[in-house]
Amino acid sequence: MQPFALNYARPARESEASTPYAYDSGLQLNVLLDGRMAACDHTLLRELGTTTSTAGSKTHFDD
Amino acid sequence: MTVLILTCEEDVTADMVVVHLNASGIPVVRLDPADLTGGVALSGEYVHGSFHGHLSAGDRLVDLAGLRSVWVRRPGAPAARAAHPSAWLTEESSQALYGMLRSTGARWMNPPDAAHRARQKPWQLRLAQRCGLPVPATLITTFPPAAREFAERYPDLVVKPVSGAHPQDPPRAVPTSRVAPETDFSAVAYGPTLLQRRIAKRADIRLTVVGDRLLAARKPAAPEADADEVDVRFARSASPWLAAEVPPRVAVAVRAYVRAAGLAYGAFDFAEDAEGVWWFLECNQSGQFGFVEVDTGQPIARTIAGWLAEPAAEEPVCVGGADTMVS
Repeated sequence: MQPFALNYARPARESEASTPYAYDSGLQLNVLLDGRMAACDHTLLRELGTTTSTAGSKTHFDD
Repeated sequence: MTVLILTCEEDVTADMVVVHLNASGIPVVRLDPADLTGGVALSGEYVHGSFHGHLSAGDRLVDLAGLRSVWVRRPGAPAARAAHPSAWLTEESSQALYGMLRSTGARWMNPPDAAHRARQKPWQLRLAQRCGLPVPATLITTFPPAAREFAERYPDLVVKPVSGAHPQDPPRAVPTSRVAPETDFSAVAYGPTLLQRRIAKRADIRLTVVGDRLLAARKPAAPEADADEVDVRFARSASPWLAAEVPPRVAVAVRAYVRAAGLAYGAFDFAEDAEGVWWFLECNQSGQFGFVEVDTGQPIARTIAGWLAEPAAEEPVCVGGADTMVS
């Protein structure tokens, strides 16, 4: 039998979509295709949910 | 002096802080310990009674004596991306990196020992009680009869992971979930189980603490919300997070909590009931904050940058068996 809490488990939501920004090691920031800093585009961050508290992360559980 | 940020490249939340540090002219070195021994390298010498060390990431080199603070955000396991990764290499790299960083006078957000302890939810619950925060009745047990008896006393229960971790083989999430009446608790014997009285909440509260600064946000529960959707991370809600005032008694208790925990940063989750009581659920010592700032406009990233930019403490040395400071 499995532990009680696992009776309530569901498949983890792994994001399939790629983010429209990439890390620039020179700037030490993620940059959009047009050169703007991703962190300054709050509308985009809200849409992507990349700054959001999530559950089921493979590596991080401090949400 | 430099701020060292330990996090992964895709951590755009850390970017929000880097932007403010850059604007203030504070030197930043950002690296992921997972990149030891590829793009990240280290060296430290303990000779003639003194310590000198360096870290490099890409083309950046930082003297460890020049660190003002270390922000442990979302670091990967040391050397996880090495050419030949192994548990042994990760342990070697972890001790080398964190041991050297702890040899400096840099301030930590959060200190590793405090962070490790602060992740333990049973400890969190007890500390919250001691600090005067209301904590829902909770049972952590492997005894099925104890679970049954608790369910008789508190018929409306939720279950959640003790650790907050989620199983990975296969990847699954274990959200806080409502336990139905007449549930069979026999599987409690197969793993520690955390059962907690469900708070009928009218709002979720996320209270972000940075140093001495408290920034609270509130998300009202939708009137038509399904009572079975307990976990705000999974619940569908059109309502944004809104800035909220912290009740004075909560502020006193939360400050006592972070002081006792030795934390410079903490993201507290509360459930607000119909009477307006904030029930403590947990404190995430490295909790996300970007989503709150995006919705509320609260200056969380700027506040973190300000904390990280403060001068380093002087390096403690041991003289005559007592800790003292070099002046």
